[in-house]
Amino acid sequence: MANTWALCALWVGLALAATLLAIWFKISTALSEIVVGTVAQLVIGVFLAGVFGFAPGGLAGNTQWITFLAGTGAIVLTFLAGAELDPTIFKTKWRESVVVGLAGFFGPFLGCTAVAHYVLHWPIMPSWLCGVALSTTSVAVVYAVMLELGFNVTEYGKAILAACFINDLGTVIALGLIFSPFTMKTLIFLVVSVVVFIGLPFLTPWFFKRYGGRVSELEAKYLLFFLFAMGGLAVWAGSEAVLPAYMIGMVLAGTVGKDHSLIRRLRTLTFGLLTPFYFIRAGSFVSVPALMAAPVTLLVLFGAKSLFKAVAVYPAVRIHKYDGKAGAYYTLMMSTGLTFGTISALFGLNHQIITQAQYSYIVGTVIASAVIPTMIANSFFLPRHLLPHPQAGKKAEQGAMRPVPAEEG
Amino acid sequence: MGSPVFVGIQRILVAFDASPHAEHALDVALAMAGDMKAKLFVISVIRPPEPAESAEFHAVLEDGRERYERSFVPLRERARQKEIEVDTDIVLGHPAEQILHKADTIQASLIVMGKRSHTILHRWMLGSNSERVLRYALCPVMIVH
Repeated sequence: MANTWALCALWVGLALAATLLAIWFKISTALSEIVVGTVAQLVIGVFLAGVFGFAPGGLAGNTQWITFLAGTGAIVLTFLAGAELDPTIFKTKWRESVVVGLAGFFGPFLGCTAVAHYVLHWPIMPSWLCGVALSTTSVAVVYAVMLELGFNVTEYGKAILAACFINDLGTVIALGLIFSPFTMKTLIFLVVSVVVFIGLPFLTPWFFKRYGGRVSELEAKYLLFFLFAMGGLAVWAGSEAVLPAYMIGMVLAGTVGKDHSLIRRLRTLTFGLLTPFYFIRAGSFVSVPALMAAPVTLLVLFGAKSLFKAVAVYPAVRIHKYDGKAGAYYTLMMSTGLTFGTISALFGLNHQIITQAQYSYIVGTVIASAVIPTMIANSFFLPRHLLPHPQAGKKAEQGAMRPVPAEEG
Repeated sequence: MGSPVFVGIQRILVAFDASPHAEHALDVALAMAGDMKAKLFVISVIRPPEPAESAEFHAVLEDGRERYERSFVPLRERARQKEIEVDTDIVLGHPAEQILHKADTIQASLIVMGKRSHTILHRWMLGSNSERVLRYALCPVMIVH
């Protein structure tokens, strides 16, 4: 039997190391944890496996309790991502958001699927999974840029942010529905989901007001109950647990999402315990030998994602009269993505839709797309405030950011 | 493009990250502003992790805002006692870029910032904010050790 505490210490130690690296190199903890997971699987796990007595060959990422913690991390992280939606942003220019968001989803989804199938000659189901994983965008990256440039308070900025949510909603729905056969179970899942999604925004504030605000953390238990229950129903129906989690986050964004104290406590739980297991586990399944054996595959997938994002998003943004650098900059921003990309890839690996080699290529592409588009955007499509001329500074001042409280953004 | 004509120290911009080095730089800037009857601008930059990820990004943003707002309270009190006009600002982005942008925007006469003692490896891989500001600023820059 594996030494549970030693294994746990190893994983938490890796999480600690990843966090320190993230602090030193100013990178996101998620990215750092994925890379540390990959390196640890390759090096540390192999050497220490015999010492502590757990299964040889790596970090034992398929141990049941690690799988549970990692899965819970993905669910809560997805819920928090949905809860960050500002419902008011949909009230302005929602048509534009839908057009850009759907373009941002369907372009790379269909394009990358076609490239995986016809260029890389992957079977059709792995190709669909590849399309889903590479269709994502990163709301956080776009939001960060919006804040830096001051677009977060403009209608254009709000429309783009809403487009990002629609893009990711498309990804989550595709992930939840494409890979499950449509049966009576699916129908039951959809009906129950609709009832829950409609009822929760009314039930939750009342329940929290009536019983919340106590040290027993009733709010967290209430949310986890619904996330697990709906996740269980989704898996029973052959779907994916993150689909209802994202939807629950979105429908509760106007209520729970504004409760800073509760969101902060959930973040502590998520970052402190759950997501390290999720991202390190996601990284541990990346096969470095597979990546080394066929690096061209990685280039093809990354090129496909970038190309189809650009082909789909840039015209959609230009239609709404944002061209030139502004259009190119935000097209590149919408080409980023990390969390939903890895969630989709891990879903494919866990359900044996894709092989470990295909998983490695997809995660490698996701990591590249999280970093490279931002670097290109900042190098070649400079925001105005980077220009050293005072006049440029004065122009940029019109859009100078002020960090806004979460309830505003 | 030449540098603007220097007309004396009227607006001092201090880069403040709540570190001991920044506190020291702030002390110097407050003293100078008092002596020269200059207006003091204090900028604090929240640097998001790259690539920004949803939950972490919002946590960093909120934490940074609260930390800097707390730091500004005693600063404003000290400035009030010395009858110095002070303007505080919290922004998001790369520190050097935002400091330069702020200096351009307010037409700063002087930028004051502390110097952190980074390792050679850190400087080589990531560079130093004070070096970047020194290199690109259009006004005098004072690095306080």
